[in-house]
Amino acid sequence: MPFWDRRKENRELDEELRFHLEQEAQLRRDRGESADAARLNARRDFGNLTRAAEVTRQMWGWSAWERGVQDLRFALRMMRKNLAFTGLALVALTLGIGATTAIFSVVNSVLLRPLPFPEPDRLMTIWENPPKSTHNNLVQSGNLLAWRERNRSFVDIAAMFPMGINVEGQGDAVQVAGLRVTGSFFPLLGVRPLIGRTIRAEDAAPGAPPVVVLSYGFWQRRFGGHADVLGQKIPVATESTEVIGVMPPDFAFPTLPRTALFVPLKIDPVQALRDGRNYSTVARLRPGVALGAARAEMHAMALQLGIERPNMDAKWDATVIPLLEKTVGETRTTLLVLLGAVFFVLLIACANVANLLLMRNSARRREMTVRMALGAGRWRLLHQLAIESLLLSVTGGALGFLLALWGVPALVSMLPAEFPLPRMSEIRIDPGVLAFTFLISLACGLFFGIFPAMQVNRGQVSDGLRQGGRGGSIANRAVRHTLVIAEIALALLLVVGAGLMLRSFLLLHSVDPGFRTDHLLTFRMVLTTPLTTLEQVTALRAQRVRQMLEKVRALPDVSAASTIHIPPMTGGNSGTDYHRLDRPAPQAGQGTGGAVSVISDDYFRTMGIPVLAGREFDAHDRAGAPKVMILNQAAADYFYPGENPLGKRMKVSWGPPPDEMEIVGVAGNIRHDSLDTKPDPCIFLAHAQQPSGFQTLLVRTRGNPQNVIAEVRDQIRAVSPSQGIQEIATMENLIGDSIARPKLEVAILGLFGFIALLLACVGIYAVISYSVEQRTREMGIRLALGASPGSVLQMVLREGVLLAAAGIVVGVGASLLLTKYLATLLYSIRPTDPLVYASVSAVLAIAAIAGCLFPARRATRVDPAMVLREE
Amino acid sequence: MDKIELLQGTLDMLILRTLQWGPQHGHGIGVAIRASSDDALQVEHGSLYPALHRMKKQGLIDAEWKLSENKQRARYYQLTAKGKKALAAEETRWNRMVEAIARVMKPA
Repeated sequence: MPFWDRRKENRELDEELRFHLEQEAQLRRDRGESADAARLNARRDFGNLTRAAEVTRQMWGWSAWERGVQDLRFALRMMRKNLAFTGLALVALTLGIGATTAIFSVVNSVLLRPLPFPEPDRLMTIWENPPKSTHNNLVQSGNLLAWRERNRSFVDIAAMFPMGINVEGQGDAVQVAGLRVTGSFFPLLGVRPLIGRTIRAEDAAPGAPPVVVLSYGFWQRRFGGHADVLGQKIPVATESTEVIGVMPPDFAFPTLPRTALFVPLKIDPVQALRDGRNYSTVARLRPGVALGAARAEMHAMALQLGIERPNMDAKWDATVIPLLEKTVGETRTTLLVLLGAVFFVLLIACANVANLLLMRNSARRREMTVRMALGAGRWRLLHQLAIESLLLSVTGGALGFLLALWGVPALVSMLPAEFPLPRMSEIRIDPGVLAFTFLISLACGLFFGIFPAMQVNRGQVSDGLRQGGRGGSIANRAVRHTLVIAEIALALLLVVGAGLMLRSFLLLHSVDPGFRTDHLLTFRMVLTTPLTTLEQVTALRAQRVRQMLEKVRALPDVSAASTIHIPPMTGGNSGTDYHRLDRPAPQAGQGTGGAVSVISDDYFRTMGIPVLAGREFDAHDRAGAPKVMILNQAAADYFYPGENPLGKRMKVSWGPPPDEMEIVGVAGNIRHDSLDTKPDPCIFLAHAQQPSGFQTLLVRTRGNPQNVIAEVRDQIRAVSPSQGIQEIATMENLIGDSIARPKLEVAILGLFGFIALLLACVGIYAVISYSVEQRTREMGIRLALGASPGSVLQMVLREGVLLAAAGIVVGVGASLLLTKYLATLLYSIRPTDPLVYASVSAVLAIAAIAGCLFPARRATRVDPAMVLREE
Repeated sequence: MDKIELLQGTLDMLILRTLQWGPQHGHGIGVAIRASSDDALQVEHGSLYPALHRMKKQGLIDAEWKLSENKQRARYYQLTAKGKKALAAEETRWNRMVEAIARVMKPA
């Protein structure tokens, strides 16, 4: 019966009973009784009217819904009454569920959600593997053409070449991230333009007019989103280029999400045979072809090409990696570690709430047993406890969801712009995650609700009454202790994880890169030179750089300036084959060599790198002069162990054809790619002799580098008005970005570790408080019999210390097992670093003792007289 | 004749039996039980209503508001199919019990 019918039902019962009494009175009057006597006798005959009505009403029973409402109101009242308990439990749940949802949202967006293309699981990337290496290398143009022609595994293969592209304007030239793509790129991905068309095979044919496709973002920024941009000619990389299309806002190639321009990649089949390895690829598997089959075919083709073109391909292999896997890349480990960590936070939160509920319900034993003695059914009590915990966990779930709603954008905005987290724009909380959160909170609620309720039910009613609510079975106590030990162990695990990451990060942060990082500005750009002959282009590049350096060095706030083609701390470098001229050339496919940096004069002084022997490049090392080179210490040690390399000659395959060069200097090692890469052999070539289109202007400033940026930019414009700049950053920013990932890992794991520590403290505090409360009488008697407060304090602390010790032992064991998964994220320390383990155990022990201290001190202040009187 | 108290659990059967004659309100049922037992069974009227409401919830009887002979609104109860079946079962059980008890009390 629905509760809203209850009032009507009550009225009807009244009417029914009144009718009965009138009927009986009437009967008695008919028999001759007086009106008053008839009425009185009717009443007497009926028995206890109120009781009858009451019992009748009970027969209607209560609907589940009505019981629910009743229990809910009771639960709300209990929550309000127990503010401290409610607060602690809600904080634990909110943190646990909120953090889980936030991290899971990120993991879901980055790792799990399919890429936004049709049949995304068939999109692959193809890589070459150098001899005896599993490194995924870029692809050689000739090989690409051969694969496209011969393969049976793929619908098509597209090549990509990311590069900064200069877009001229009226004094507002810019350089943006561009991507050269073959005609197969867009059809293969299965994407359509917002307006216009995409790049077709004809656009990449020799002699085809230059065209460009804009990203939505660039279209909005540069052209205000006007549709009449289609057909316009814009100066792209010095060519007047027709805009043929604009991509929709949600389109981005996953591994290169910031690409602003797409232009055709023209591969000349003859030139391709001599090209270097330059291209990334994307390919679509044919329906029904398995990844393994495609890999086998690529392997076979690589073997065949190695035989056909030994000079280029001997011992090179090729492999296939799904695009999603490549996109996610190294972030995968980070995210999985964070997911694991957040799961542990959730577990701790759950254990905490379970413990709090368990203790509170034990304290409410008397209430429960009284209700049971008065006839409340076991199911009814169970029901009520379940409702109470559900209310708690749903509230916690809702708060946690709000926290995640706020936390996810906060998390994303915390990331630096260059942070290597792929698919960042795709991160959002989706309905799946919402469902996940509520499922967790509901599961928690049911678990917490049912488990403590079982405890109450098992207790005998009479026992409960006798104990006067001060009970708490041994089993119950064992469960509480297990929970708190688990909490401490999990907290230790998390804090150890955070500690390892922190120590690793500090070590990484304090690594000496081998150069002075302060007061150093970098201006990254691709030199714009009108396309004429190769000789003219190289001459112009050399001239431009010389002029820029002259003007910049003349600025009063600049103490030194130079250039390098790929700056340090940007994650990569060029490489090529080189070997000693006085030794036989190595066999094809066995080439020795290493990194190459193309630099201008005064580079080492500008960077603050010591020149160990010989000299730097200077103004005399220009085109036409004898070709010279400088080795780093690692290259000198590798090629000339125990010899003096100065004056020796090497053969270097850089610009075609290979050049012979004389070694004029040896410089100190630096960490080039990133802080955690050990210095490898590297040679330095003079820009004036080997001009490169990729340039980073390095400027060492006297004062604050920020104040010099505008002046330097003006000088670059003065040399070439159409020259845009791709990126301006201080070296400190570049280094900061290069360690952004470990920094984020430390920040999040640290936060989780802190939360875990707090929750564990609350956990041990609650358990010890409860235990002290239970033993108030014992303490009173002890004190009355002459025990000193110190000995009582000791007794309580002992319990806490034993719990903490057990938790720490279990936690250290678990950490030793689990932190090996952190190994790939750690720099130069092992996951079993004793310093971290020792200090974290100490921190946890102190925290646990702090948690016990308040309740222990309360125990010593028990007034024996009061306690004994209470009984 | 002395009044006797009702055996526990027999009230339901008596109510069902009474309703076999047709729909009746609570007071009518009480009066009918008293009358058909020649006033020997003293049913406390107050105990009728919890039984009636319980049996209604169990689906043994139905209730309906109608006008009584003297034009007053009254809740009339009547047997349902389920109630008829229950009555038959109760009667059988009762008869067997009376026989068994009789055998014990008056051994042949």
